[in-house]
Amino acid sequence: MRAADLLLLVVLAFPGAAWAADVPTMPWWIWPIALFAVTFVLGIVAILSGIGGGVLFVPFVGGFFPFHVDFVRGAALLLALSGALAASPALLRNGLASLRVTMPLALAGSVGSISGAMIGLALPAAVVNTTLGAVVLLIATYMMRAELSERPRGGLADAWSAALGLHGVFHDAAAGDKFDWNVHRTPAGLAAFGGIGLMGGMFGLGAGWANVPALNLLMGVPLKLAVGTSGLAISIINSAAAWVYIDRGAVLPVLAVPSILGIMVGARIGGRMLRTAHASTVRRLVLASLFVAGGRALAKGLGIWN
Amino acid sequence: MQTEREHPTAEDLIYARWLDFFTRLGFAALVASFLIYTTGIISPAIPLAELPRYWGLPIAQYVAATGTPTGWGWVLHLGKSDLLNLVGVSILGSVTIVCYVRMLMHYLRVRERAFAAICIAQLLLLILAASGLLQPGR
Repeated sequence: MRAADLLLLVVLAFPGAAWAADVPTMPWWIWPIALFAVTFVLGIVAILSGIGGGVLFVPFVGGFFPFHVDFVRGAALLLALSGALAASPALLRNGLASLRVTMPLALAGSVGSISGAMIGLALPAAVVNTTLGAVVLLIATYMMRAELSERPRGGLADAWSAALGLHGVFHDAAAGDKFDWNVHRTPAGLAAFGGIGLMGGMFGLGAGWANVPALNLLMGVPLKLAVGTSGLAISIINSAAAWVYIDRGAVLPVLAVPSILGIMVGARIGGRMLRTAHASTVRRLVLASLFVAGGRALAKGLGIWN
Repeated sequence: MQTEREHPTAEDLIYARWLDFFTRLGFAALVASFLIYTTGIISPAIPLAELPRYWGLPIAQYVAATGTPTGWGWVLHLGKSDLLNLVGVSILGSVTIVCYVRMLMHYLRVRERAFAAICIAQLLLLILAASGLLQPGR
């Protein structure tokens, strides 16, 4: 499937959901079907772009579907977790993710995400929607300006990176390229993942949008390896936050299960497409989606468009 | 001097194998329980037709209005098809725990103490989160 086809699916799926949200008399079964269709597309886009499904799911489903944002965030964490779980075995086997780089960062991220989930569930819905909208718009603006590097210039490994052996040889099958890389600025990377985890847990965002720049720009991990490693990190970090939502009863099967199934099927396809996908097309698609979804969440939170 | 490490490494492949198996297991449980739920083979705690009355409520009001169990309380109500879905959800939430136990054994065997310590810290954190002891309020 080409990226243009994905864009068409997104454009077709979301106005349908928006229309449906205005019709409270719709039978219950419309919602699982609509959710499956939307999350199937999100699953492909999330893995190709490395942003995680939650950052698109929360503003879109929170904005255009009738569920309370508490359930949407619970479902978002579970679907981002599921998408990452589904894609990670293929990413690891294809050499597109590093468990060794992931583990220390996921530990810092998990501390942040559990704290974020606790805070998020204690906040009123209007505050969550307003802050979420602002955060998503900031993410989109940041992503527009950030220039990720396919092949970062090798910096010196710091003491932590050297001690943990965070280095390797990356083989880019699509470009036919092979080069050495090593992680630098590990303490700053750990702090970044702690902060990203906090926001992810608070808003139910997958946090790949921030993981990838942190790994690539801050720590010097090659872009494709950063995307895959971000997915693996999400599978660990979101496990921690998801349990807080499960324990609280914030998992609505009719919302969460079709979303999880959709994202898992989409993510499997996305994982296979990652080796040959054109990053720039996916990036433009994600940016457009983020601006729409962030604007909707902000308008809902401020009571401009309910 | 650094040793050359090309991915996938042996540890990547061990983790991938365990991750794949338990994710498939969780996925299968989720599909089966959702089919049971939506086809009405077993009755749910909250009838599907009534659910739209509640799904717009904040979580605290939803729990109060429907009597939905919190923490691990759902385990006592697996005869209700909506709560049965939490079996698959819990397996997916536990996949990382199982994989980390496997990796802990691996790192202990190859004497990578730093990574064994990271595994133990991550496991403690995940078990704390899953325990139901962390209860935020609103």
